Amino acid sequence: MEEKEAMIQLRGVCKRFPQKKDTIEVLHNIDLDIYKGEIFGIIGLSGAGKSTLVRCINLLERPTTGQVFLDGVELTSLGEKELRAQRHSMGMIFQQFHLLMQKTALENVMFPMKISGVPKAKAQERAKELLELVGLSERMLSYPAQLSGGQKQRVAIARALATEPKVLLCDEATSALDPNTTAGVLSLLKDINERLGITIIVITHEMSVIQKICSRVAILDGGDIAEIGSVEEIFRSPKTQVGRELVFHDGEKKEAYVGHVPYCYRTVFKGDSANEPILGNMMIEYGAPVNILSGNTRNIKGGVFGQMILQFPEDAEVRGKMIQYLRDRKVEVEEVEYV
Amino acid sequence: MFEQGMLLLVGEAFLETLFMTLVSTFFAYVIGLPLGMLLVVSDKDGIYPIVSLNKIFGVIINFIRSVPFLILLVAIMPITKIVVGTIIGPKAASLALLVAAGPFVARLVESSLKEVDKGVVEAAQSMGASPFQIMTKVLLPEATPSLLLGFAIAVTTILGYSAMAGICGAGGLGAIAINYGYYRGDKEIMYVMVVLLVLIVQVFQELGTRISRHSDKRM
Repeated sequence: MEEKEAMIQLRGVCKRFPQKKDTIEVLHNIDLDIYKGEIFGIIGLSGAGKSTLVRCINLLERPTTGQVFLDGVELTSLGEKELRAQRHSMGMIFQQFHLLMQKTALENVMFPMKISGVPKAKAQERAKELLELVGLSERMLSYPAQLSGGQKQRVAIARALATEPKVLLCDEATSALDPNTTAGVLSLLKDINERLGITIIVITHEMSVIQKICSRVAILDGGDIAEIGSVEEIFRSPKTQVGRELVFHDGEKKEAYVGHVPYCYRTVFKGDSANEPILGNMMIEYGAPVNILSGNTRNIKGGVFGQMILQFPEDAEVRGKMIQYLRDRKVEVEEVEYV
Repeated sequence: MFEQGMLLLVGEAFLETLFMTLVSTFFAYVIGLPLGMLLVVSDKDGIYPIVSLNKIFGVIINFIRSVPFLILLVAIMPITKIVVGTIIGPKAASLALLVAAGPFVARLVESSLKEVDKGVVEAAQSMGASPFQIMTKVLLPEATPSLLLGFAIAVTTILGYSAMAGICGAGGLGAIAINYGYYRGDKEIMYVMVVLLVLIVQVFQELGTRISRHSDKRM
């Protein structure tokens, strides 16, 4: 991967929470670089430490040890006052929106500007522009209680953008929304990233969110970064157990599946190989059937991918030939332990 | 039912009661509002935790709150004597009212402010808001409907206290109820006073509820 300038750098970040008897370490020694202008995903099952990690970026949670840099400035060395000033260049949106319930959409968007001392007239003008950007100019004077979930999140996005941040942190921003609304909010985030060049960090437990907008992704597992790479790489060949769980089953518990089945392989077809009936031809050529256990198609930034879990014949020779046949046709084949 | 002199007396007492209640409530908020804010801010999960200070104020407030008002009124008489110069009359009673109502209001304010969603506070922190800005621009405005409801409770409770203060010659409807109704055994007058007190409570409570509901934008 080419050298890129880092926007966020985490160095040896640990976070421990003191409990009654002992302490729980939620993050172990995290090193992470997030580049300028990218949409970076952090995914993990619940309890993996995602929310703590994102809160360590803007120091809503102070790391127990380690350093956090924002655009070259070490946040962990700043006092409260300087830190507050730096926070103006980081916007954040939340799963439950966290809007001021007693204020209109317009006042909500003006709020961070009020805090950072922007004159009222200017703040109002900019708030109107931002509400237009998120497509809510006609709901300007509505209170949050009068808006739908998707609209609330749009107000929250406008609010997060009010102080012209360099970074936008999204903590499970679409987890409380239905699929249609989620798609709308995600494409808005993508649009903001492209138009304004803001670095976006997306925390989620849904692989589908990562696939839609992220360029790179880190898989968080038990407080460690299990895997990190481009979304395409991770999707095509997840190297860890948790990575496979997230990619194959979108994070659902694997107990719900069949369990151990012998001779199972995961195959990944790229979009352009879909025109040829590869599987059919292979079965005719070797005169042996394969058992399709599951399959789906995913839209990832790089194109369309189809994945299938196949059970190959017991005969090792035929099995080997079949796998080679697929590999010759640029289909990725990888043995899996469970289905 | 009453002769004119009695009517005049009751009218005067009615105004006295209103005056005493509202003035005491005002001063109770002068003390209770900052104290309640302090309790919320300094809480261990608050926006500027100072746990020892929080504990100290908590214990003092609980101590005062656990003494029944009538006992408090008598118990602080030595202090009242020093501060006010007398232990009878409306002025003497108002000190006791203040001592009792201040901590009560502080708890009401505390519970209203704690109702504000922690996430909203977190969002404000993520924008770089200072603890002072969070208090004035987030907690107080967001808690306004609840604070107004609390205000109605405070007024009606202090009204009850002021009636009790009638026992030390504080005047008002409570004094008439005690002097004419209780000491002289004139039940008629006592019931009239009770009805009047109930009416005042109803009016304040209803008013508080309506203003609170009207100000709340969550529905």
